[in-house]
Amino acid sequence: MHESCRRPAYNRITPMRLPTHPVRYLLSLLLVALTACTESERRAEPSGDSPANRQKIAVLLINHGSRSSGWKRNLLELERRVAPRIRAIDGIDTLSTAFMEHAEPSISTALKALDRNGYSDIVVIPLFLSTGAHVFDDIPTIIGKKENPATLEQMRLEGIERYIPAARTHLAAPLDFSGLLASNVLRRAGTLSDDPSREGLVLVGYGSEPFQETWERTFEQTGRKACAEGGFAGFTTAWCGHVAHYSPDSTSAAIGRILKQHDRAIVIPLLVSFSERFQIDIIGRGVASVVETGKHVRYRPDAILPDPDLEAWIISTAGTLADGIRKKQLRK
Amino acid sequence: MKPFDNARRINNILHRDLGYFFAALIIAYSLSGIALNHVDDWNPDFIVTKKEINLDRGYAKNEITASSIERFSALAGEQSFRLYDFPSDRQVKIYYKNATMLLELGSGKGIYEQVSRRPLFYQVNVLHRNSVEWWKWVSDLFALMLIVITATGILMLRGRNGLPGRGKWLIAAGALPPLIALVMQQM
Repeated sequence: MHESCRRPAYNRITPMRLPTHPVRYLLSLLLVALTACTESERRAEPSGDSPANRQKIAVLLINHGSRSSGWKRNLLELERRVAPRIRAIDGIDTLSTAFMEHAEPSISTALKALDRNGYSDIVVIPLFLSTGAHVFDDIPTIIGKKENPATLEQMRLEGIERYIPAARTHLAAPLDFSGLLASNVLRRAGTLSDDPSREGLVLVGYGSEPFQETWERTFEQTGRKACAEGGFAGFTTAWCGHVAHYSPDSTSAAIGRILKQHDRAIVIPLLVSFSERFQIDIIGRGVASVVETGKHVRYRPDAILPDPDLEAWIISTAGTLADGIRKKQLRK
Repeated sequence: MKPFDNARRINNILHRDLGYFFAALIIAYSLSGIALNHVDDWNPDFIVTKKEINLDRGYAKNEITASSIERFSALAGEQSFRLYDFPSDRQVKIYYKNATMLLELGSGKGIYEQVSRRPLFYQVNVLHRNSVEWWKWVSDLFALMLIVITATGILMLRGRNGLPGRGKWLIAAGALPPLIALVMQQM
């Protein structure tokens, strides 16, 4: 799959005779066309100047993707905002965004473009909240760093293409290794709060069945930090993705838990971007199903983005990884 | 032959032949529909075989080496592994050709998971989910043809057993369950 295609060197070139029979002629044309197609799909190797010998670093921001135009708009806006600062980092000269599913450019499309432009190294920054199946298995499998059998099957079913780039890929850790979630929650909850001492936070996340313990720990740390710094009376978590079977019940149950102890619940969707399905349909219905919701629940269907701290995290992550790549190259 | 009779004859031929032509696809989509309706209760595409693994004791991350991974793999009957990785400091995930093993290092417990395609359902779900790029156009055509099959079916018979007779009542009765469901959803 990722081996370079080398054409055999021919000593003699024999002139090609065109067939005279119309059927044979058509078949020959078809064969020539097919050969041309497969040739064009082969990876173009820069002659005598392989990516390994030339250092050229690209940054690729990867997110889950969604059919929602709002989701895509937020992520492309993020790229636009951080691009000048990313390009200012020594050694990095391009930044692009890719969507794991439901939107283009897909990861494979983006990697192919970077390969065509002869990048030697690609810093892959996953914009996911925590170590879940997507970050730990799916993305590494798509870019050829792993071969998770379940992921390979699911990718085939969902039409997600796998592409192993010629460039070296460097996968960054996801968001929960930085402390920015709590400040994001505080900033957003602050705009909805009247009296934090009488209010509780409901943090709604996507969740991940195989790594739920990690997700719960991340949300626990985020909630505790937000309460300590913002003076909120308490917090609880709810899930809107795989774990909750995309049902609003987890959100409404979490609101119920908060309202048993506090006067008001402030619901914060901890999702990277906006999607009608999650913020409006699933979480929104969970909020709407609570009795006297207008009086006791505050909710704005927003997302983590836009967030200046997230932008800073992307820039510092890209800088750290690019620095490591450059130092490694110098040691060679 | 009256023009009306001729139209009815064409109607019946259309109903019969489209019914034959799309029979396989109707059954495939119906099977897949049932499978995907219960997506919360089972995996409609894959059979996931799980096996509990119990290590001799708990381990720390720094104790994990290739040879210990080989020993853990042998517990699941795997002779070799492709690679292993740590989702967290307390977990290790081992990758095989057709399976994975996720171990909780502290407790020494884990799950070995094999994934295989669910026969028949996987294939019909591929069609229903439009997993093949161009299939959605076939799917659109199929949906339109289902409307034609239904419309021609409604117009097939005359008299007591046709649309003017019992047909209209049965159509009305058939429309009731979805209407009730929609009303209940609004409440």
